[in-house]
Amino acid sequence: MKPLRSIKFIITVFCFLYPSIALATINVVATTQDIASIVKEVGGPLVKVNVIAKGYQDPHVIEAKPSFMLKVNRADLLVYQGLELEVGWLPMLIQGGRNKNVLPGRSGHLDVSSVITPMEIPVGEVDRSMGDVHPLGNPHYHLDPGNGLLMADIISDRLTQLDPANASAYKTNLENFSKRLKDKIMAWKTRMEKFQGMKVITYHASWSYLLRFLSIESAGTIENRPGIPASGRHLSELATIMKQTNIKIILQANYFEKEYSNLLAGKTNGEVVVLPVSVGGVEDAGDYIALFDILINKLENTFSKI
Amino acid sequence: MKSLKVLLLVLAYALICSNAYAEEKQYFQNRIDKLENRVEELESEKSRNSSSTQFSRGLSSSSSTATGVSRTFNPAISVNGLLLGTYTDQGRDDSSREVKTGMKIQEVELRFTANIDSYLHGDLTIAFEGDEVEIEEIIASLLATNNLSFRIGKFFTPFGKHNQLHTHAFPFIDAPLINEEILGEEGINEVGVGAALLLPTPWFSEIDLLMLEGENDLFNGPLNDDFLYMIHLKNLVELTDELTAELGGSFAYGRNDLVNGAYNSTKLFGADLTFKWKPSGRELYRTLIWQTEFIQSSRDVDKKGFYSLVQYQFARRWWAQGRYDFFTIPRDTVGGGGEVAQDKNRYAALVAFAPSEFSALRLQYNFLDQSAAENEHQVLLQLNFTFGSHPAHKY
Repeated sequence: MKPLRSIKFIITVFCFLYPSIALATINVVATTQDIASIVKEVGGPLVKVNVIAKGYQDPHVIEAKPSFMLKVNRADLLVYQGLELEVGWLPMLIQGGRNKNVLPGRSGHLDVSSVITPMEIPVGEVDRSMGDVHPLGNPHYHLDPGNGLLMADIISDRLTQLDPANASAYKTNLENFSKRLKDKIMAWKTRMEKFQGMKVITYHASWSYLLRFLSIESAGTIENRPGIPASGRHLSELATIMKQTNIKIILQANYFEKEYSNLLAGKTNGEVVVLPVSVGGVEDAGDYIALFDILINKLENTFSKI
Repeated sequence: MKSLKVLLLVLAYALICSNAYAEEKQYFQNRIDKLENRVEELESEKSRNSSSTQFSRGLSSSSSTATGVSRTFNPAISVNGLLLGTYTDQGRDDSSREVKTGMKIQEVELRFTANIDSYLHGDLTIAFEGDEVEIEEIIASLLATNNLSFRIGKFFTPFGKHNQLHTHAFPFIDAPLINEEILGEEGINEVGVGAALLLPTPWFSEIDLLMLEGENDLFNGPLNDDFLYMIHLKNLVELTDELTAELGGSFAYGRNDLVNGAYNSTKLFGADLTFKWKPSGRELYRTLIWQTEFIQSSRDVDKKGFYSLVQYQFARRWWAQGRYDFFTIPRDTVGGGGEVAQDKNRYAALVAFAPSEFSALRLQYNFLDQSAAENEHQVLLQLNFTFGSHPAHKY
């Protein structure tokens, strides 16, 4: 074979191979369905997303199943919520997953909380007598849709970094998603405007970001301290607060048992509102925007009745 | 920073001045929200200290250059304590017994873990038991390729399920009979090297190959100028989102100190099957685990047995558990080794109250039905606690 011909041959082969390299999908493992939903929005058909914690599960108590390690093992990108939400199981998954690409510091390792301003960072010393405190702040930040914009931004940046050939596709997807979400944010805000300044009781600090977004105040949590079930005394204190300030609503995530909330509601003529915390938390919450549609619908209905 | 704030003001000014369309208004509102977020974020990053990888010019970081005293790279440390109270209706006069009525510190464990450098990860577990101090685990592990990892050191070998556990992670207060009687009081905890390979199967499948020093009750490698060889295969299938099945097989081979002919090698076989169930959306409140393990050893005599246990979490803080143990030295293999043929059956029931993931109070009742000694009733009460760095939980 003459040299020129062989070069031609190589170029031809390369031209055939190149598009397939560029179009290869990025294998993403997301720890929560909220992150997974945003990755899908930004990545479109260019990514394949596997999720660890389902939206109907309490993300604090997921177990480090070896089947999850297998997902981590085969991932190009691991995206997680951070702020110690996954501390009980993600280290085991990364260790057991044996995938160098997703180790801390690599381009396949993305802690989304790095672009978030966390709420409720404890001031001063923390220790375990305070319950399951999160020393880095409240990790349920996806429940502020404004944070959704930031999450999409950093996910798009990272996908672009991993797959520069499709940069324009990620950019377009990001712009589309951000535009849709921004329009929705304005609409949600407008609908909930009349309830600003109202007060509720929450079960766990799951709702801090959502309540801040809606300018609704939490007057207390049923859990004595994070992760610690209520005592009788604490419940009666809450009941007093509810009666004095005329609070009627108790918000709680659907993966917690309702007995304490129901007890308190019974004492105070209040109403327990059970809500999904994450995408996939109920069947209709199929993606990030749908989750907020459900949350806002339910809250608007409940508040309107009072 | 400043320029961002100025930009913000300008945008706000533009917003006030423009009596343009609602769409435009919305757009600016969003821009402002986003910029506000960015400003907050920058401000918080500035105030955040060493937890982020960005460089800070804090006092502590610069002073350690001069003093050489820095806590930044200390390992994560945790302490586990096991306090045990025991009642037994047998052997009050026999002070050599392992299980006797009284109170004791069952074990205290000190665990250190950190990355050693860009290549190696280090783990150290020191156990205090009575007046003995033991290095239970010292491991340097290396991730070689995306599926292959190596470890060197001293560790609980992956022979079956239970042998891999530290005392504080035992499903019951005591170890199963087969682990105590066949693998010995300490289990197979050995110095050696291991290679674990994740197989490219659609389910989780791992093969672990180990070459170990082999110096314990069952083996004597050094005497024979040889090692103990072990292979372990672990498979886990996710049957549904709620249910997993794990099937494992183990084999170990090594020389022992019985020099007379046919008996100078020891073979160990093990098999384990575990089902684990957690209902969707109620993970915090319900768990059901059913685990069965079989072990057989061929040395001077054959020994074999199994246990089957059920752990049921019926409320957020409560567990009820049961276990059946069977161990036998069959009659037909007796000879030479001095062991007498025997059968042992043990029935155990346990209730655990775990107020948080860091402490548990457990009450266990054992009934031993044995051919070589008097039947025995035992009651055990254990407080199990951990403090320090948050340990990740094994599945």
